[in-house]
Amino acid sequence: MPLNRFSSYETDGFFDEMFGLGDGSEPLDHYHRLVSRIAKLDGERMEAKQRQAASSFLEHGITFTVYGDDKGSERIFPFDLIPRVIPLTEWQLVEQGLSQRIIALNLFLNDVYHGAKIIKDGIIPREVVESSPHFRREMIGFDVPRDIYIHICGSDLIRDENGKYLVLEDNARCPSGVSYLLENRQIMKKAFPLTYRDMSVRPVEAYPELLLKTLEFLSPRQSGKPVCVLLTPGVYNSAYFEHTYLARQMGIEIVEGRDLITTDGFVYMRTTHGLVQVDVIYRRMDDEFLDPTFFNKDSLLGVSGLMDSYLRGNVSLANGIGTGVSDDKVTYAYVPEMIRYYLDQEPILDQVPTYLCWKEEDCKFVLENLPDLVVKPANESGGYGMLVGSASTQKQRMEFAQRIRASPRDYIAQPIVALSRHPTFCEGRIEGRHVDLRPFILYGEDVEIVPGGLTRVALEKGSLVVNSSQGGGSKDTWVLKD
Amino acid sequence: MLSRVADTLYWMSRFVERAEGVTRLVEIHRDTDLESDARSGDFGYWHSTLQSMCAKEQFEEDEMQGPDAFLLFSSQWNNSVINSINSARENARMVRDQLSEEIWVELNSLYHFLNSNNAILEYQNDESSFFRRIIRFSLVFQGLSDATIHHDEGWRFMSLGKYLERADLTSRVLDTLTLLGSDPSRLDLIRALRSCSAFSAYRKRYRGALTMHNVADFLLFSQDFPRSIRFSIRGVDAQLHEISGVPSGNFSNEAERLAGSALAQVNFSNIDSMIRSGLHNSIDDLQKKLMEVGQSIFETYVLLPFEIKSASPLPLLQMQQQQ
Repeated sequence: MPLNRFSSYETDGFFDEMFGLGDGSEPLDHYHRLVSRIAKLDGERMEAKQRQAASSFLEHGITFTVYGDDKGSERIFPFDLIPRVIPLTEWQLVEQGLSQRIIALNLFLNDVYHGAKIIKDGIIPREVVESSPHFRREMIGFDVPRDIYIHICGSDLIRDENGKYLVLEDNARCPSGVSYLLENRQIMKKAFPLTYRDMSVRPVEAYPELLLKTLEFLSPRQSGKPVCVLLTPGVYNSAYFEHTYLARQMGIEIVEGRDLITTDGFVYMRTTHGLVQVDVIYRRMDDEFLDPTFFNKDSLLGVSGLMDSYLRGNVSLANGIGTGVSDDKVTYAYVPEMIRYYLDQEPILDQVPTYLCWKEEDCKFVLENLPDLVVKPANESGGYGMLVGSASTQKQRMEFAQRIRASPRDYIAQPIVALSRHPTFCEGRIEGRHVDLRPFILYGEDVEIVPGGLTRVALEKGSLVVNSSQGGGSKDTWVLKD
Repeated sequence: MLSRVADTLYWMSRFVERAEGVTRLVEIHRDTDLESDARSGDFGYWHSTLQSMCAKEQFEEDEMQGPDAFLLFSSQWNNSVINSINSARENARMVRDQLSEEIWVELNSLYHFLNSNNAILEYQNDESSFFRRIIRFSLVFQGLSDATIHHDEGWRFMSLGKYLERADLTSRVLDTLTLLGSDPSRLDLIRALRSCSAFSAYRKRYRGALTMHNVADFLLFSQDFPRSIRFSIRGVDAQLHEISGVPSGNFSNEAERLAGSALAQVNFSNIDSMIRSGLHNSIDDLQKKLMEVGQSIFETYVLLPFEIKSASPLPLLQMQQQQ
């Protein structure tokens, strides 16, 4: 009997990306070719390929920094060799849903900073918007270049127990992870060249070009080639690899705050031949750190006078200032309403029902049902500070209940979604692990989304947390041509 | 190019050159120590070497086993091979976008090797492989720098770093000979030459006669040996003029003036006059001048005239969360 590495695979009742709602014996059509390739690989070959991939990541310095670890140690983002496959029709739906969403989010931002009709019409309460820590009063009345606030968005999608795609959150400030998407593809092409070719996978390599096009579209100086730079907090930042990677792929300078200075409302970078004017800054740091004369006075990372230049329209920022109000997890609950309100359309992608702890009745419900809910801080990222009810202890729940009572605005809760699983190579065996998907959406002249996105996988058995900082890994995502 | 990037490239290349130089020193010393008439004790060659590297006190405070382990692996001394490679890699990480993938992979692989247990194990079990690995890395690094990136301004700053570091290392090797406390023996002279990879080149030039006079003459004044002080300073001078576009023999900034004056000093003096005024002092002067060149490169190309010197940002503040 031929070797079949999937013969003992169990879907355990979850929706499985490869086997759908089946029991794990018959893969979905779009996975057939891949399954027949992997099923024949013996454990040693698979492990050798896996090791090769890991050492390639380390050698190339494709690493992230883990905070809270006093060594500031660099780790590779664990990579799983079994790619996720998405058929074209399924992807097209996701693509349309995401485009619709980024357009609505931008209309929302434009609205809240220009008169806030949506509040006046009673769609979203004033206090939700104004209590968001990322709401920037300074932006009221300011016209951002091209009326676009979110140029780069990373929205996290999950699939529920029936395989329906749901939006879990939007990252509209500094989403990261796209470099892994691009690097994973390079590794996969080396690991399974023929399978990759035979399956006609849609390429992703155009991302840096599309990103640069998006940035150049914003330039206040439209004559000549705009000078775009990527502003990084520096070499100790967790996503530093990605910053250099993108800068290199776009052929633009990667700058730190100390490389820029402002004079008379213009921003310049300091070069060996004097000062050069900068038009567009792709900033990979949060609003608060950008300009010590404007926001956080203690920030040594920013550039004094940057906000002044921005508000005078002499330099463009991507993303714009104040986008955080749209990816606040409380605002998130209102996105379907926004889509209906601004676009007069039904949302193409559903999202997870959300309980807002600042509402009395919701708060009561949350506190009574903690074991069955996921509680998340409204404004954290990286999977920090959340409570997965089913996997928590009584003590942790007590602590959370206290925190929620103390500052209800800062917490939301959602039912625990049985995230879909994907066969994943775990210590010599193939087992199901929970996954999500982060596509990267670019909004410039047009909305552009490279096919697929970063599939993140919770490598720990049973875990639902896919963040790199919490033991998550990633997979390549293959969107098929037909 | 960005001033900070120029500065970072310059230091990256200095640190790589330094790691190679120090490794070669240790390799040659370990090998020469096997000879029955090698120096030992307080006026031993190791001792003078540490002194010429300004590392004597640090060595005494350090817990390392011997001078070899100290020079290679000390975590306290900035110029140990491991710290030099770590610094080179840290600098490279800051300018990843300027380097070719090949350069980065070589440097990063060596970094991971040196910071693993395998490094000490390899040194203990097979030191010649260990030395070869590091020296070979440096040579590959230089080859890749020449063959895989633009020879633009960034490359020139890398060359500047390399030549300045070389001039400095050779001057220290030569200084070691003046610090021995007695006339250098034949073995000491061979040691010094080999520390600069200069033994066969020297032989070709002098056909065998090993004297302090000739060795010093060679290491200081050789026109065409690529590790002589004169050759290296000429490299510094040439790169500086390439960067500014000002013809050689003129100067448009302090770095060029100082480099030109150091070059004139080696071009228009000879070994006899140097020995007359005291070799150790002359070398010391030259070293000081080289340091000033380094400082003025920084002031010319990195700092802006109106700049207030501020401390570098704390790593902690860079630790913002990324979504």
